Amino acid sequence: MTLNRDFFTAVVFLLVTAGMYVATYSLPEPMFNQLASWTWPRVILVPLGLLSVVLLIQSQQSGQPATSFAGLVVWARENVNPFICFGLFFLFLLALPTLGMLLGGLSYVFLTLCVLGGWQPRQLAVHAGISIFFVTGMWAIFSFLLGVILPEGTILRVY
Amino acid sequence: MFENIALAIPELFTLTNMMLMMVGTTAGLLAGAIPGFTIAMAVVLVLPFTFTMSPVQGLATMIAVYVGGLSGGLMSGILTGIPGTPSSVATTFDGYPLARSGKPGLALGIGVWSSFFGGVFASIVLMLVAPQLARIGLEFQPVDYFSLVIFALTVTASLAGDQMVKGLMAGLVGLLVATVGSDVVFGQPRFTFGIDAMEQGFAFLPVLVGIFAFGRLLGDVKNREKAHQPLGGETHVVHIDYLGAAKEVIRRWGNTLRSSAIGVFVGVLPAAGSTISNILAYDQAKKTSKEHEQFGKGAIDGIIAPEAANNATAGGALIVMMALGLPGDIMTAIMLGALLIHDVIPSPSFISDEPTIAYSIFLAFFVAHFMMLALQSFTLRGFVMITKVKLYMLSAVILFYCAVGMFALNNVAWDMWTLFIFGIVGFFMRALGFPVVPLVLGVVLGRIAESRLSQVFARSDDIGVFLSRPWSLFFLLLACFSILFPLYQKNRGKAAWTLYYAPVLLIVMAWPVFQMPGSLRPILAICMVITGLGMAALNFKRGLAPQETE
Repeated sequence: MTLNRDFFTAVVFLLVTAGMYVATYSLPEPMFNQLASWTWPRVILVPLGLLSVVLLIQSQQSGQPATSFAGLVVWARENVNPFICFGLFFLFLLALPTLGMLLGGLSYVFLTLCVLGGWQPRQLAVHAGISIFFVTGMWAIFSFLLGVILPEGTILRVY
Repeated sequence: MFENIALAIPELFTLTNMMLMMVGTTAGLLAGAIPGFTIAMAVVLVLPFTFTMSPVQGLATMIAVYVGGLSGGLMSGILTGIPGTPSSVATTFDGYPLARSGKPGLALGIGVWSSFFGGVFASIVLMLVAPQLARIGLEFQPVDYFSLVIFALTVTASLAGDQMVKGLMAGLVGLLVATVGSDVVFGQPRFTFGIDAMEQGFAFLPVLVGIFAFGRLLGDVKNREKAHQPLGGETHVVHIDYLGAAKEVIRRWGNTLRSSAIGVFVGVLPAAGSTISNILAYDQAKKTSKEHEQFGKGAIDGIIAPEAANNATAGGALIVMMALGLPGDIMTAIMLGALLIHDVIPSPSFISDEPTIAYSIFLAFFVAHFMMLALQSFTLRGFVMITKVKLYMLSAVILFYCAVGMFALNNVAWDMWTLFIFGIVGFFMRALGFPVVPLVLGVVLGRIAESRLSQVFARSDDIGVFLSRPWSLFFLLLACFSILFPLYQKNRGKAAWTLYYAPVLLIVMAWPVFQMPGSLRPILAICMVITGLGMAALNFKRGLAPQETE
């Protein structure tokens, strides 16, 4: 058995499918002879499970090399920028109730620019300029022109 | 038709609408010209600005962005050799060599005129065909719609080629994602796992933007060196040779018409967008051209074909979306989202119930092509300026803009979390080799499929209705053939059975067509059987070519 990428993918899919299928049993029974809320999910989950098995079999016939820990580390290193961006976006969403869209956005865009672009003094100034111009601009357009009430955050809340 | 056009004209041709459409076309042209920036992203970014507009204003603006985006890709494709969008990949094959040979103005002009003619052709087909298709759509019952959705998903998955299993799995995951939230029939919570916010489910626009924009932008900044490079190569402002190019395009009207027709046809098919049509039209132009040895070296026909086809595809996709209310690709899925935001629900009766809005959309598509023609020179200067911006700067700003735009959709923070979650999902699915288009279409079509299925079961428990209704059987049979299509493509010319794929398709499909009402369709069915038998006999006589059997 070759423990390659598709093998692990198929196993994860099988586990998720099984978990979701079990979860359908906690869904309520239908009223008035209508379509039960579990019917459609099960219609999807059964072929999904079968296709996961097909993928599992294909993974053993495809000749795809086994996944090693070293290979995963290389892949993670190659994708460090996207991971940092995801991390920063996650922090932005977490901090949104406190910082609000304006302060949160300024911090998020500035930090993302610096992480991707560099921390040299000149770059810092350029990144700060871009952040202030675009984030404030967009915030103003949405708040005043489009009338969208963006999250203001506890820091800037005036009442 | 003409009275509906007369109703739509005063609605569309207002100063505000024209200004908005010009801004939209310019934005689309610029966005389409930036390599790595897809048209879908451009339309998504414009969407929040249309919330406060009237339906006609908002939709006309988005159509203008769409048309601009389709034509913008030719600028970078011809001047830098890097296609601005996947829909202009084939344009670079001959556009770039022609520009390098000292005729960039002519190459750009041919691209612009071809886009224009392709778009105008599609607009006319859109206005003529969409109402007729909607009339056929009125025959559809819930069971037919459900089968149509299944067909759309199988086609999408089959386009994944060798990755068909992963394509089907992605489509099913999309359908599963759409089940999260509240049940379609009773509104009871489903798969919420105790999280209150999950009861809202996942709105499809944040899912779509998460998978496409997030995944795409983060993919662009993956490579540190690439992220620090300017968006385009060395570009300079050139003067577009409108007159010389127009003469060349008109002289080659056969290619323009054929490529536009290919574009419309591909657009009508579910999931097959301009990414496919431009390559297909290029291939056909090469096969039929008398100067096929010039292809790849700056052939004029090689620029006309992809550019006419990609603009015409948009018209084809709009036909299905407007007539049946079903999005066939990502772009029309976004357009459908925009329509729903403006309380416009496309369905077979939409064109007859809301002729002003429907024909305003048709006209906007037509008018946007004239604007594109006029604004191309102007945006070329803007494009040259934008190419100097570094990729990471654009990515960081757009990621934030996506978040604001998705929040503005429903004024709930959960949509931003949806964006984030599906950004990760899209990123990992791409990394694991899954096509993401079936996933997105699954999310969009999931609720439609379930509600139609519930309507089917509300009428009867008999599942035989899926096979006894002609339209349902028609779509289910097509779905079966589309599943087999990658196998057919792989073995074409090598295995004997592939000789009979098309004839069997024709003969089998004739059965549901024969059962349809009216006198024309049974006659059509008989013609299909005769053609199928003829093709089978001819292929049997010919057999496999000797070099193919080796």
